[in-house]
Amino acid sequence: MAGAASETIHDVVCGFCGLGCDDLSVEVEGRAIRPTGSICPEAARLLRRLDVADRPASIAGAPASFEEAAAVARHLLAEARSPLIGGLGTDMAGAGALVDLAVRFGGVLDHYASEGLFRNYAAAQRTGWLSTTLAEARNHCDLLLVVGDDPAATWGRLFERLYPEAPLFATAGRKVIFLGGAPGEKAKAQLSGVDVVHLATDDAVAALEALSSLVAGRTPPGGSFGGIDCETLASLAGELRASAYAVVTWNAGTLDDGDLVAERATGLVDALNVTTRAGVFPLGGRDNIIGVNQLMLWRLGYPLRTAVRGQASAHDGALYSTASALADADLLVWVSAFRPEPPPAFAGRVIALAHPDTVFDKEPDVLIPVGTPGVDHAGTVFRMDSIVSLPLGALRVATLPSVAEAVRRIAEG
Amino acid sequence: MRLRLKGGRVLDPANGENGVASGAVRDIEIEDGRIVAPTDLRADAEYDLGGDVVMAGGIDLHSHIAGGKMNLARLLMQEDRRAYPEMPGNFCGCGGGRAVPTAHATGCRYAELGYTTVFEPAMVGANARGAHLEMADIPNLDTGAYLVLGNDDYFLRLLAAGAGQEQVNAYVGWMLEATQAFAIKIVNPGGINAFKFNARKMELDEANPHYGVSPRKVLTTLIRAVTELGIPHPIHLHGCNLGVPGNDETTLATIAATEGRRLHLTHLQFHSYGTEGDRRFSSSAARIAEMVNANPNISVDVGQVMFGQTVTASADYMSQYRNRGLASPKKSIGMDIELDAACGVVPFEYKDKSFVNALQWAIGLELFLLVEDPWRIFLTTDHPNGGPFTTYPHLIRLLMDRDFRNAQLSTLNKAAQKHTVLSEITREYSLEEVAILTRAAPARILGLTDKGHLGPGAVADIAVHTEDADREAMFSTTRMVFKNGRLIVKDGVVVELAQGTTHVARPDFDRAVEKDIDRWFDEAVGLKAKHFRVADGELRNGAGPTILKCEGGAS
Repeated sequence: MAGAASETIHDVVCGFCGLGCDDLSVEVEGRAIRPTGSICPEAARLLRRLDVADRPASIAGAPASFEEAAAVARHLLAEARSPLIGGLGTDMAGAGALVDLAVRFGGVLDHYASEGLFRNYAAAQRTGWLSTTLAEARNHCDLLLVVGDDPAATWGRLFERLYPEAPLFATAGRKVIFLGGAPGEKAKAQLSGVDVVHLATDDAVAALEALSSLVAGRTPPGGSFGGIDCETLASLAGELRASAYAVVTWNAGTLDDGDLVAERATGLVDALNVTTRAGVFPLGGRDNIIGVNQLMLWRLGYPLRTAVRGQASAHDGALYSTASALADADLLVWVSAFRPEPPPAFAGRVIALAHPDTVFDKEPDVLIPVGTPGVDHAGTVFRMDSIVSLPLGALRVATLPSVAEAVRRIAEG
Repeated sequence: MRLRLKGGRVLDPANGENGVASGAVRDIEIEDGRIVAPTDLRADAEYDLGGDVVMAGGIDLHSHIAGGKMNLARLLMQEDRRAYPEMPGNFCGCGGGRAVPTAHATGCRYAELGYTTVFEPAMVGANARGAHLEMADIPNLDTGAYLVLGNDDYFLRLLAAGAGQEQVNAYVGWMLEATQAFAIKIVNPGGINAFKFNARKMELDEANPHYGVSPRKVLTTLIRAVTELGIPHPIHLHGCNLGVPGNDETTLATIAATEGRRLHLTHLQFHSYGTEGDRRFSSSAARIAEMVNANPNISVDVGQVMFGQTVTASADYMSQYRNRGLASPKKSIGMDIELDAACGVVPFEYKDKSFVNALQWAIGLELFLLVEDPWRIFLTTDHPNGGPFTTYPHLIRLLMDRDFRNAQLSTLNKAAQKHTVLSEITREYSLEEVAILTRAAPARILGLTDKGHLGPGAVADIAVHTEDADREAMFSTTRMVFKNGRLIVKDGVVVELAQGTTHVARPDFDRAVEKDIDRWFDEAVGLKAKHFRVADGELRNGAGPTILKCEGGAS
């Protein structure tokens, strides 16, 4: 591609972290892609591409044609007793093809980043929840409670997106309270002009529980909760009650007690809504996990961690998690199109539909490198809130198949 | 490809044909998916109907079949999915669920009942892309969606600023096109928005706490927009005060507010409650039916309550939050959505021994029987909010068989029986009237000229029922169903999956509005308007929509 003209593409949609930024700029020169302008480190890393040949498909490490690799993969699937279709880092078309694959050959479906989602569901499926979305939080939220560690490390532009210069409604002063870890430099910079408070705690669950009681007008027994004294919490409860629209956010994926945080945060928001308005805003959404989950709900009636066997599906959030299902599986179909995420250690056969830069501990039995949605081909991904989905465009001419194309070739020959 | 359906009794009210009454049988001929005038040409296949009843495929103009709130309902109500596993004979392993069936089960169960077109009545713009992806996975049905407007901050801001009707029209036209919608739905006009500012109820003439705009203003402005843009289906209204005793006055005032312009009142049953009696909950069906009868600009669907477990899902978060204490099982979901709308999901069990539920059941039937013109009333349970669509055959029998209806009534809550005039109503629907309610009239109110009838040029969506004096048995199964001339159901069993299309309406509008909309999305929503827009190629796996070009719109 020597001599190819460089072109700058604006308003590029990003499908990596689940925040769904759609104002990125990249320079494209032949097959090389260079991010420019304001961009978070993760998107910069994952969008950057060199003008190099992609590694070919392979069978047990030996280069093979796409067709040969697909044929061996089909043979492995047909022989497998108990496949796990994991990773599931793919766009909506790929997700649909993989559900078809599970229906045809049987298999457990789980996404590699589903731990946080199921920690949230543990609470949510028992009681339900009252939630909000990005544009609502951006304009209504006058008090944001961030539970756990500063999420800006994972969602690089979260606070920039949540805190525009001129919100429509929350114009009388906005406040962010970090309950847990301290805000980092990036968060502070994006929150300039916003009142930022840090309440350090190593037991956010206890603090949230006390807050819920205080908001509901009860005084919990004890002098401090999670290391925060009762007066401070009572004052915060007062601020929450006085707020017009409070939002509570957390990343259950990185919180060991994320299920309890989700439950207590849900309870706190429930208590607040009796007299004012509030919503939970759970963080997550990496590699279209929300989209794959949505598709499974409408196709199979169950979320991730569902087994399809004999034309019927069954869901079990524990039994069909990747970690548990691997113990019973004899074949792993590993799908990761957004990033070079390696498969978990596994003694059985492995078919990898993987990002071409993936580094494997052990060469998979079949490797089909796949293109990245939003880089090599167009596609659709969901944002973390499960409501908004975005169209990803192609930035360069694809030389690799999409997940959907690869799966169809495997299934149909 | 030419097919011939031989010797059926054709029931086609749109063309004035009633083979059931006359006993006449005739052939129907299909060429390449459309009905054509009979010829002597050799057919590729012939089906002997042996005098069975032939109707156009059913059209449900209000059934929640897709979109984020249905997935929230599936997530919340896993017990519904577990209790109704895959049906035998499915060939994709995707079936399941009753109150919130999967996409596959939705398409299959509807087809088995003879329905071939269903409209999702509450698509939130922010969720349009996802709703269309989901609709593409529903087999056997043509679909379409009504866009929820009237609680979006862009629109309310326009009204508060005193924007002209032209500007509103341009925005409505843009939104309809951008979200690939077929009609405009208003849910609790301005009330969902007011709830975001902590208002807990909204009367027709109450001011929005932030914008100062009343539901009446929202309603009348959007009625005018739809009229001037030439969108065939009138405003599809879920009114103020859903489920609140005394909302009969709101409903009557809403009808009066139209000043003769067309308006569709949806799930009217939930809006026909009085406050009489010692329980302060009574039927106002007679009053409301009388007003509907007197106002030919009004059409309604009922939203009949059917007893049993279901889950209610609505954009009306204000009302759903108010009712969450009634959830059974005890859990619910609410969500404010993107300066656009909201949703609330509340599981519910309608109990025949409950005074309120039994009276709701009776109110729905009173409406069905007291609204006189079958062309202006439609058969719905507001699936799944009043009950799943799979209860339609039972509902049809309730309408057609007075003895059966009264026998059912006599088993219900005793106090509720005393509060309804149902037992005194002698009307029984005829088969022809049922055909009007379920196909001919919906096609007409939706402006679908090639559906809902069996004349030449019509899409060959056809249902064949074997007549049975037990109307529930008759409508519970189909002998044959054709979708675009392909046999998809035979003897009550789905034999083939057809890919449907999605209907969208396209008005002309002043595209100068795009500049302001782009700025709004950039600044307020934090998303590019061009990424909010759903492209034609995103529908139906690349096949794109079926476009109804609106006439009479601004150029």
